[in-house]
Amino acid sequence: MSARRILGFGLAAALAAGAAGWVSCSAIQKGTDILGDVGVVNAQDARTIKNLSEAVRNTFGDISEEEEYYIGRSVAALILARYPVHQGAALRQYVNTLASAVAVYSERPEIYAGYHVLILDTDEVNALAAPGGMIFLTKGLLKRCPDEDTLALILAHEISHISAKHGLQSIKKSRLVDSFRILGMDAVQRMAPENVAKLTGLFEEALGDIAKNLIERGYDRKYEYEADAMAVAVGSRTAYDPKGITRFLQTMVGDKSAESGKGWFKTHPSPKDRISKADKLIAAISPLPQLLAGRTARFKQAMAGVK
Amino acid sequence: MKKFRRPLAVVGAGLLLALVALAADTLIIKVQTTALRKTPQFFAPVVANLKLGDKLTKVAEQSGWYQVRTASGLPGWIHGSAVEVSRINLMASNQPMKTQATATEAALAGKGFNKSVEANYRAKHAEISFVWVDRMLQIKIAQAAIQEFLRAGRLGDFRGAK
Repeated sequence: MSARRILGFGLAAALAAGAAGWVSCSAIQKGTDILGDVGVVNAQDARTIKNLSEAVRNTFGDISEEEEYYIGRSVAALILARYPVHQGAALRQYVNTLASAVAVYSERPEIYAGYHVLILDTDEVNALAAPGGMIFLTKGLLKRCPDEDTLALILAHEISHISAKHGLQSIKKSRLVDSFRILGMDAVQRMAPENVAKLTGLFEEALGDIAKNLIERGYDRKYEYEADAMAVAVGSRTAYDPKGITRFLQTMVGDKSAESGKGWFKTHPSPKDRISKADKLIAAISPLPQLLAGRTARFKQAMAGVK
Repeated sequence: MKKFRRPLAVVGAGLLLALVALAADTLIIKVQTTALRKTPQFFAPVVANLKLGDKLTKVAEQSGWYQVRTASGLPGWIHGSAVEVSRINLMASNQPMKTQATATEAALAGKGFNKSVEANYRAKHAEISFVWVDRMLQIKIAQAAIQEFLRAGRLGDFRGAK
């Protein structure tokens, strides 16, 4: 084995290692081409390295912020196709300011286009978080909040679903693998029409996966408990009373109208189970942030006129 | 010749390690817009405004924040959620190249679910309106308004304030 061969092998190994996360696909392609051209790696080695490199993007975690934003926009459009928007501009301003304030203390303060909230004009009780930072709260849910701290904890729960990418995790892995494979060929703008059609079809199926979980079936229970736990932490960091989450959940216990209806109960675990899990986490927080009359007053002012 | 092999391989491996280390020091902005701050806090003074794709050199890390330098040499801090570690530099010393090294770099190269894909989807589904999606994304809350909201509510960085 010549010195050049050994060095080539080292380079090839490093490139293969790079395929696991350090180096890009096309960098590897170019690298293997160069090494192949000078006879440092043989064609088989080059193919192996390239195949490894194609594994670079293959899970929900490899979805870019921009892609998450575009997926979220369409999920938001699907939610908005089902509910009318509440027209109160002052309430919208208040809720968006509150969400932005809570987001600062979340696990993901910065997101592609920021966090945005709309109120859905329905008495159904529900809250939905589309990927990319778009949050929807129903008027029915707002009416159950006695104070700002309670609403802040609900927003912290929704922001946590987004931080932890629970929506994106609903996308079937095979769709992502197929999408990334097509995208690996060329940029969308230069793609052959049949690949554009395939990619659009996969996009639509991915939206279907998310919408099914978010709107119809509900996330896996473990994601709801995880979002509650994160909300308690985020709420406390912001100095909101974390018991806000249990104050809201208490209003849902034994509520037959909500239980028999659409929305929250169809998509969330039982409120009693959530309260008992949240209570345990809250008991460990010291000092426990307390309610503040001034915050409750501004919440009531923003809610005035919500019927 | 035999003596020559090992040192050459070691030098090669060393060079690669150095390049990997260099690559790990470059951060790329993954959100549309953000700010470089004087200290690692959201309400610290803004040193510069940054946008998607801007590159920064990492200097240090501290509880979720990166101390960085901009391309023009400005020092400051950026939150970890606004950046990803670039993987593009390893082979870029010889020639510039567009790659899909990271998700953001792929997106910047026009590879991904993007505006074009949304346009194709919308062409197929004229019944789905994006009017309120666009309107909700236009809602802007100024940093000063968030700060005032926190201050008045004695929240976050302003907890315990009078």
